Amino acid sequence: MTAVPFSLRRVWLIACVTALEAARQRVFHLVLVLAMGLVLGAHAFREFNFGASELKFMADFGFGALTVFGSVLTIVATAQLFFGELEHRTALTLLAKPVWRAEFILGKIGGVMAVVTVFCALVTLLLLGTLYFRQQTLLAEHPELSESARALDPMAIIAVGVAHWLKFGVLAALTLLIASFARTSLYAVIVGFVMLLICHLHPLARLASARTDSWLLRGVAGMVSLIFPDFQLFDLSASIDSVGAAGAASLIRLVAYAGLYFSVLGSLAVYSFNRREL
Amino acid sequence: MNFRGARWLVVITGLGLTGALLRWLSAPLLLHRPAADRPDVRAETFAGAMGQGIALGIFGGFRPLVADFLWLQVQDRWEARDLGGTLGHLRLTTAVDPQPLAFWLNGARIIAYDMTEWRLAGLTRGDAMSESVGKRIEAEQARMALAWLREAERFHPGTPVLQIERANVQLNRLHDVAAAAASYRSAAELTDAPYYAARLHAELLRRLGRKAEAYAWLRKIHPKLPPNDAAAAAGLVLARLRGLEADLAIPPRQRYRAD
Repeated sequence: MTAVPFSLRRVWLIACVTALEAARQRVFHLVLVLAMGLVLGAHAFREFNFGASELKFMADFGFGALTVFGSVLTIVATAQLFFGELEHRTALTLLAKPVWRAEFILGKIGGVMAVVTVFCALVTLLLLGTLYFRQQTLLAEHPELSESARALDPMAIIAVGVAHWLKFGVLAALTLLIASFARTSLYAVIVGFVMLLICHLHPLARLASARTDSWLLRGVAGMVSLIFPDFQLFDLSASIDSVGAAGAASLIRLVAYAGLYFSVLGSLAVYSFNRREL
Repeated sequence: MNFRGARWLVVITGLGLTGALLRWLSAPLLLHRPAADRPDVRAETFAGAMGQGIALGIFGGFRPLVADFLWLQVQDRWEARDLGGTLGHLRLTTAVDPQPLAFWLNGARIIAYDMTEWRLAGLTRGDAMSESVGKRIEAEQARMALAWLREAERFHPGTPVLQIERANVQLNRLHDVAAAAASYRSAAELTDAPYYAARLHAELLRRLGRKAEAYAWLRKIHPKLPPNDAAAAAGLVLARLRGLEADLAIPPRQRYRAD
């Protein structure tokens, strides 16, 4: 489609419709309820905590819920919303009008990101509230301990939530790239989860490429570590105490890393979708 | 090349170029992190844990919870005196979450002390009669515990309690007083070290007959001890100084705080 100029307004409209559709999906409600339930219930699991402080354990638990259910939401919603349009033939109707395929892809990713943003914000805020109330209870029970001894920095919690959100952005773009090649949403979802695993195991690929004697394995591992984004960079929850010390510069680097990957993956998804026969 | 193949080639080339470009951006992101949370440091233990079906714990974000459940398994195996099972679960626990020091410290104690007892109890009457077999087992377990603590120090560099634990194993299981004294000293010189590490260093030097060194060490640390902190035991250290002054026959004028 080259007859009309590219329009951000059309991207916006597609994104709004996509976000509305995504918010109506059962998967969104399910993962939101489960994640929030786990965050609220983190306190009940403290009996299983043997290594860390109680608040740290609760924070880890909450971010665990955010990671797992956020990943599920991102992959499933992206694949379903993309293939929903193709399977119901609404994409054909839409693309028969003066709408660029790039606008369609960007609108889809924008809509998914809107829902993921709401999910991340709700879970992070709930976690922040839960930690605050537990901290107050602990302070009331053990007034002899200073507040600083048991407090988690709220800005660090928010920074970790933002890092997760950035990761989901890259994951959504990656899933959309896979979907632009895939023929079914099930295939896109399965490959999306495999990619998620590979991206999380990035350090292993680097280790293998550095240590192995086999040139074949070194080549494959080197390619994997080069091609896939490193999702371990976004996992700040384990080092939450040092997030503040890392400073804004590190967070800006992380934003740049995610932003560049998001742009490249999005552009490749547009390129691939442009060459796809519908 | 067909149409679909060309698409794949463009995508892979695009991602490869992006990956190469972003290496400079991603490398400094790990530098500020504690060693226990650096994926590059953890990669080897990752590899060991992956084969055991606990990927969810590693990449899913529930790492601490999975590690806690694995720690329960350690306790279960420990109660059954299952040496292989306990060691395997200990390794798995710290592979999943190397952050909590409690896992490393208790692991070292289990390896050095409990496992030695289990192995000795499993000896036949003839073997048990042999003192050298017992000593060999004790030394083997101690070295295993020291290797475990070296691994812990990779994740928690400069942590005094790990060095103190190393000194304890060297002293109580390897019976290497000189090595233990050196380890207590390196612990004492770290920030946030407990006061007793410095006292133990001096005590072991005294036991080794290196009383002048012990005296010099205590003279160095005593002025830094807070007088009102019971843990610092400033009075006790002063008493030790006086005892060493008597042993070393130090002239009254040269004694510590002679005035």
